[in-house]
Amino acid sequence: MKKLYSAWFGGYWSPYLVMALAGILSAVYFGITNTVWAVTGEFTRLGGHILEFFGVDISDWAYFSLVHMKGTTWTRTDGWIVWGMFIGALITILLSSNFKIRVPRQKRRYVQGFAGGIIAGFGARLALGCNLAAFFTGVPQFSLHSWIFIAATAAGTFLGARLVNTKWWKGKPVLHKGGTVPVVGTRKNRQPWIGAILGIAYIGLILYFFAEGRTMLGTAALFGAAFGILIERGQICFTSAFRDLWISGRATMTKAIALGMAVSSVATLIIILVYGMDPITKIAAPSTLLGGLLFGLGIVMAGGCETGMMYRLMEGQVVFLPVFIGNIIGATALAYAWDHMGIFNLLVKSGSPINLITAMGPAAALIVTLLVLGAMFAIAAYWQKNYRFGEGFKKGGTTDVR
Amino acid sequence: MSVDLTLDIRGESCPYPVIYTLETLRDMSKGQTLQVISDCPSAFRNVPEEVVKHGYTLVQEPVKNGQEFSLFIQA
Repeated sequence: MKKLYSAWFGGYWSPYLVMALAGILSAVYFGITNTVWAVTGEFTRLGGHILEFFGVDISDWAYFSLVHMKGTTWTRTDGWIVWGMFIGALITILLSSNFKIRVPRQKRRYVQGFAGGIIAGFGARLALGCNLAAFFTGVPQFSLHSWIFIAATAAGTFLGARLVNTKWWKGKPVLHKGGTVPVVGTRKNRQPWIGAILGIAYIGLILYFFAEGRTMLGTAALFGAAFGILIERGQICFTSAFRDLWISGRATMTKAIALGMAVSSVATLIIILVYGMDPITKIAAPSTLLGGLLFGLGIVMAGGCETGMMYRLMEGQVVFLPVFIGNIIGATALAYAWDHMGIFNLLVKSGSPINLITAMGPAAALIVTLLVLGAMFAIAAYWQKNYRFGEGFKKGGTTDVR
Repeated sequence: MSVDLTLDIRGESCPYPVIYTLETLRDMSKGQTLQVISDCPSAFRNVPEEVVKHGYTLVQEPVKNGQEFSLFIQA
């Protein structure tokens, strides 16, 4: 029992395995609910509810009718995906005794996180999705907008990486001479017990949803927790998938995410064909490009995207609280600017939803998608092998990495 | 084993643990040992990986202490 426990919670899981599983689960979730695994749409609705609470009349805001403000976050599947992810991640963090209030020593991190969160929230909603709906679950829907978004995000993270590497942004760490003997505490560790109780209570809630006949809410609560557990256990970070390429040439996440999207594309196409479903296609427009660029910049400034932020916050990394608040403010600001400041007319109206399946048929759509993902994987592997911190690409003298 | 420098980056999140560690190692002379103390869960994986990729060696197993850990790296 103890051995089994430490195999699951002693160390982190392989990011490749985790992303492949998330890819299959997100395809199944689409098959059951006809919606995709996404989070920022719900952040926008949360912003809308906050405005309503303060008496703002949002009934004529076009963006809120676009994302549907029906019910509360507790009666929506998109809501339970978000809360399920928070709770699922918290359960495994507690089971592995990894919760700790982690306070950044440099106060500037709060400002940076808040600013980055706003930019990332604004950019994601401008593009109609974050690293999920316009990326990880967008590509398997064969929606062209996600490819534009991915390319733009990569460019945005390049700008972000340049910014965070400047002296005034990163600041100075604590460095002193000699070694430091860690103070080994003997405090009782109650975290796994709290995690187990929380886990059981949450399973109870899911069963309650099913018993009450609210099958879709139960499904969302279940899948949300599964996604939260997976991204926490795999320490999945979409931010690092691009940012780390520019910084030290680390490509583990890039490769894992490409693999996960390939698995998900095959699984999603099977579900689309077998059940005769329509893929979810979003508008590809100049807004997708600009949104991706802002999103890429924002997530690097914040140190995490809208998904990574969730489990980091549960780990007790307090710097992600201003990031979360910033995400909601940014998403809400976009909802305002959408019609009140002419963003829709200027950047979105000219676009149209383009789906690869409709454009070239299912077989070609899958082949093209897998080829591009394969190329992404190969470039990432080459990058990891040849790119070095502070030097960039070096001729010769490569080190072998797995 | 004698440690020459300690880099205390508790509270710092990605990408700063990797950046600070590689920067510090670059400024150290060859053969010196650096201890990195961190509590960033991702850093437990990406700092050792990047350090080895950049040609440095881990001189002993990481020491875990609750949610914190120490890495010992030779420049």
